[in-house]
Amino acid sequence: MDFGLTETQELIRNSAREFLADRSDTSVARAVANGDSEALASLWKDVIELGWPALTISEEHGGAGLTFGDLAVLLEELGASLAPTPIVESALTSRIIERFASESLKADLLPQAASGDILITPAIIEKDVSWEATNATVAATKTSNGLVVTGEKRFVGFADQATHALTLVRTDDGEPALVVIPIWKSGEVEQTPLDHVSGIPVSSITFNEIEVPEANIVATGEEAIKATEELVAAGGVARAAQMAGLGRAVLDATVEYTANREQFGQAVGSFQAVQHHLAEMAIASKQVNHLVHSAAWSFSQEGYSKERAAQAKIAASEKISALCWTAHQCHGAIGFTWEHDMHLYTRRALAWKTDYGDSSFHKSKLANAMGL
Amino acid sequence: MRFEFTAEETDFRNQISAFLDDVLPDNWGGSSGLSDDDSWAMDQKFRKELVKRGWLVMSWPKEYGGADSSPMMNTIFADEMAYRRAPGLDGFGTRMLGPTLMAFGNDEQQTKHLGAIARGEVQWCQGYSEPNSGSDLASIQTRAAIDGDDFVVNGAKIWTSMGHRADMMFMLVRTNPEEPLHAGISLLLVDMKSPGIEVNPIVNMADVHHFNQVIFDNVRVPKENLVGDLNDGWRVGMTILNHERSGIEFAAGARAAIEELVAYITDDDSPASQAKSDPNVRIKLAELSTEVEAARLLCYDVTWRHSQGLEPSFEASMSKVAGTEIYQKVLDYGLEILGMYGGLIAGSPQAELQGRFLKMRMLSTATTIFSGTNEIQKNIIAQRGLGLPRQRRVKATS
Repeated sequence: MDFGLTETQELIRNSAREFLADRSDTSVARAVANGDSEALASLWKDVIELGWPALTISEEHGGAGLTFGDLAVLLEELGASLAPTPIVESALTSRIIERFASESLKADLLPQAASGDILITPAIIEKDVSWEATNATVAATKTSNGLVVTGEKRFVGFADQATHALTLVRTDDGEPALVVIPIWKSGEVEQTPLDHVSGIPVSSITFNEIEVPEANIVATGEEAIKATEELVAAGGVARAAQMAGLGRAVLDATVEYTANREQFGQAVGSFQAVQHHLAEMAIASKQVNHLVHSAAWSFSQEGYSKERAAQAKIAASEKISALCWTAHQCHGAIGFTWEHDMHLYTRRALAWKTDYGDSSFHKSKLANAMGL
Repeated sequence: MRFEFTAEETDFRNQISAFLDDVLPDNWGGSSGLSDDDSWAMDQKFRKELVKRGWLVMSWPKEYGGADSSPMMNTIFADEMAYRRAPGLDGFGTRMLGPTLMAFGNDEQQTKHLGAIARGEVQWCQGYSEPNSGSDLASIQTRAAIDGDDFVVNGAKIWTSMGHRADMMFMLVRTNPEEPLHAGISLLLVDMKSPGIEVNPIVNMADVHHFNQVIFDNVRVPKENLVGDLNDGWRVGMTILNHERSGIEFAAGARAAIEELVAYITDDDSPASQAKSDPNVRIKLAELSTEVEAARLLCYDVTWRHSQGLEPSFEASMSKVAGTEIYQKVLDYGLEILGMYGGLIAGSPQAELQGRFLKMRMLSTATTIFSGTNEIQKNIIAQRGLGLPRQRRVKATS
């Protein structure tokens, strides 16, 4: 066991902290939540320059070849800063393409994803908002060149910024298929931007008989289910990593506030009732952090641990959202205001809590793994 | 970042497991179902087995008869023993007094006591809490006055685990009544057969005799039984206490309980077999097992910090709080799964799982109270861990 960070991870953490403090404080999150697409685009441009989209892509395909554990360290910092930038989306789709797609599709897409020339975002869930891979219904008709796809995917992150969607469809013979669909073609892809609590662009997208060349099929049948399950599991851990960072930031802010706010002639943080809230927040924060590292580390090995992935997302979903509500309680009236930043964190936690499977979804997965 | 055990560590865990398979009685569910006498007999028998394998004091330095094993190996050992609810460990001698004597004891004290502890020949008990000094331990009043070559001890200690079995006690006494709180306290080693000691049983809510109240009426303790300096007992007696404590026992007990419950409901002959497909049960057990893993990682973090030479302080408080709370929660849920059977006392006809969930739940009530209540632990986390200010002390007792 090693609970410490590697040298590379320390480096990632420190440089991310430095960059984000300078470039993405909460005013950027606020601006993007208010629809400032310029702020979003300019941050993404800088993030590409830092090479973050390339982080976990193999060196063979133009990436830095780092591990999922390394990625988790970066995601914690992105979560703590509320940076509105699609690293999770980009890292997840790159991972699945790298692990499941044909050599030619990898050679085609991954170098472009690494350089930021394209952005592939996952488009998995539909109207029933189920993360169960077997539930996909978006129809794909087989043609001589590939597939023609029709149907709606919901809650697609950064759809406006993305050039492609990694989508799970069902072909006319009833088999699932995971495909990469270019989504900039107007008319064939319709976007409905949603007004979402995350403050990050989220859309539903409808495919209107869009042609997908056979070369863009990543996996079919059982392989497509397996790939999608891995995408959801990894997505859960990625969100949990962001939530771990977010929880730490909220804890730090709450310690800072209660250590300085005085009532009855002393800091409110000296009262046991308040200290116990904070101690519980600190325990929760550390637990989520450990579970995330344990799960993320398993994704760096052959295969990954389904149990650990589920545990990380269960704990993050439940503990970090609870931590945010407790932070509001500790902040008193000021934390209830629109002006105070606390609700920005709470909103993001609420959004991430359900993304890539809520705690019930992952508990069911974990129960399966436990033999129940 | 590496979340797996080394091959050597896994091999050691397997050795412990094989040993326990070999020596534990069939269908062993822990000592909690045994009578006090049987439980004590098991402890003694097992301690000898542990001595034979060199495991009882394996964490000690070689010069004191240990194996100088790594913190990680020690936690794995504690984890596996607690997971199997194995008897025979000797926390007072091996984990508290031993390291304290190594740090603060003189040569004579080390020679006299360490060997006997290492050979499992002597049972120690701890005399810290008093009827009026629980969480506020520094307020102890048991007095040790110097008279010639002896201390003369008067007062009472309480919640003395194993006091009725112990040969010796290490105790905190007030040697300078002029100094309140931490100053004026010393650590003494006391023979439990000394005239003037009276041990009165306190039966706990689980109907187990584990605690005692120990009365000291002009008990003479030779001066050479003082450990460390006079009036330096707070430092001597408290430094080692929480030092290496990972708290893995609670997470291990909870892990065992969850596995038992899963086995129980997946057994087709079990009265609770229909619970297996109940979505509520599936969800709840998954939730609890996540909490157990979260608590377990905190314990291994404490151990890892220790192995890196990073002093764990509030981290040990975190693992204690998380471990004991989840342990109680898992046992609560076990009783819920058992339903009406949950109310059967160990030994009752028709008891399920030997009635041990009820007994363990009753016994576990103490876990959030002993070794510093969880409330005190949370204060430590807030103050030492998060740097929040201390609340002003309301009343200084003397």
